[in-house]
Amino acid sequence: MDFIIKNKTIIAFISFTLFCIISLSVQSSLFTLSFEDAVGMFLMPFQKLYHNVQKGANIFWAGFTELGDLREELQRVRKKVQTYDNINDEFIVLKKENIRLRQILNLQDRISYDSFPATIISKDPDNWFRTIIINRGDNSCGIRKNMPVISFYEEEKIVFGKVIEVKGSVSRILPIISKDMKLGVMFQESHIPGLLTGSSLNSDLCIMDFISNSAKICFGDIIVTSGMGGIFPPGIQVGTVVKFFVIESKAFQRAIIKPIIDYSKIEEVFVINKEIDKELLELFKKEE
Amino acid sequence: MVITYIITGALILLSLLIQGHSSFDVLRLAGVKPDILFVSIVYFSYSFGSFYGGVTGFLSGLLHDASSNSPLGLLAFPKMLLGFIIGMYGRSILKENILTITLLLFIASLAKGFITILFCYIFHKASLSDIITLILPESFYNALIAPPIFFLYDKIFKEALSRESY
Repeated sequence: MDFIIKNKTIIAFISFTLFCIISLSVQSSLFTLSFEDAVGMFLMPFQKLYHNVQKGANIFWAGFTELGDLREELQRVRKKVQTYDNINDEFIVLKKENIRLRQILNLQDRISYDSFPATIISKDPDNWFRTIIINRGDNSCGIRKNMPVISFYEEEKIVFGKVIEVKGSVSRILPIISKDMKLGVMFQESHIPGLLTGSSLNSDLCIMDFISNSAKICFGDIIVTSGMGGIFPPGIQVGTVVKFFVIESKAFQRAIIKPIIDYSKIEEVFVINKEIDKELLELFKKEE
Repeated sequence: MVITYIITGALILLSLLIQGHSSFDVLRLAGVKPDILFVSIVYFSYSFGSFYGGVTGFLSGLLHDASSNSPLGLLAFPKMLLGFIIGMYGRSILKENILTITLLLFIASLAKGFITILFCYIFHKASLSDIITLILPESFYNALIAPPIFFLYDKIFKEALSRESY
């Protein structure tokens, strides 16, 4: 016993080092996953509490500071509502026309998906990973792994990321600016495809790779989801081209994409109730 | 001593929550945010010795791993290792002043970054450009915020420090 007390620092150091190395070597094992789950469950109430306290403080402070802004905002919203009333009438006419034309052309109806609103309660506390935690999980509304997450910018749907982990009443989202994200995208105009990934750990830009050399890329071109990969529905906006490189020795071009939304300012997101295509899932499992 | 443990635990938890909250993103400089949790661990190690620093580093690192998307042990190991190393020298050798604290945090953050990148390379994935884009700016940032945090913690742990005869 005396030996342990005398050498407690060395014993603790060796035990902790062994624990870290073993746990890193057997990543995703039952032990590490249940340990992470248990610690995550311990932290979750504190995360929610801190989020609510901060939100309450912001609302309280906003009561003093934002009254003037609110009056202006109200005027703007009233004007917008009038415009939308007109747009809605046009939309109803166009929708009917669209249904009629689709019937004539024998085209399948577009699938629309339900979505669950969620609030961002926490982000990765360190700089090495860029995941985001939302306050919805499988307990509250049946969110499952690989469901797409979107946000809205000027009434337009924008890709945010995908669900990578669901724990009780919270879920972890991998945003498109993360280096671990791979997303099938295409140019909105030309429909030329590419693969989108995050550019670096400290940047909010993305890289679109594997663009055919025949593609004519212009500054400001809009990038949308291609629907390949089976996770995201096609046609959702991602970002715009800010830079592109043509390397003659390579078979493909590369472009730098600036996402439409500012990831540091987003507070609300929507999880689309769409599960990954079963055929693709089976293919992934076979490959694994 | 029990009160010191409780305050340490509370500060660790609070640092983690503040650092993980989305509003903390406004403090991003050059795309990185400071690691308050690590600054706290360095303080505990510097003030209360190797064992205290190492254990605090390990436990808070595990919490950090669980709340982040990292594999268990990736963020805990560098914190634990540096907690032990800094505690070996501590206040008895490195006298507390702004320059010492800034330099200590800069070097410790660099070391933490290099250990993390090495572990990322072995167990996850990493690129050398992370040294420029992440490790260096984070080290500068940690060094910059360390003196006020150390000053604040000195006030909180006034009694515990006087017991340790500092």
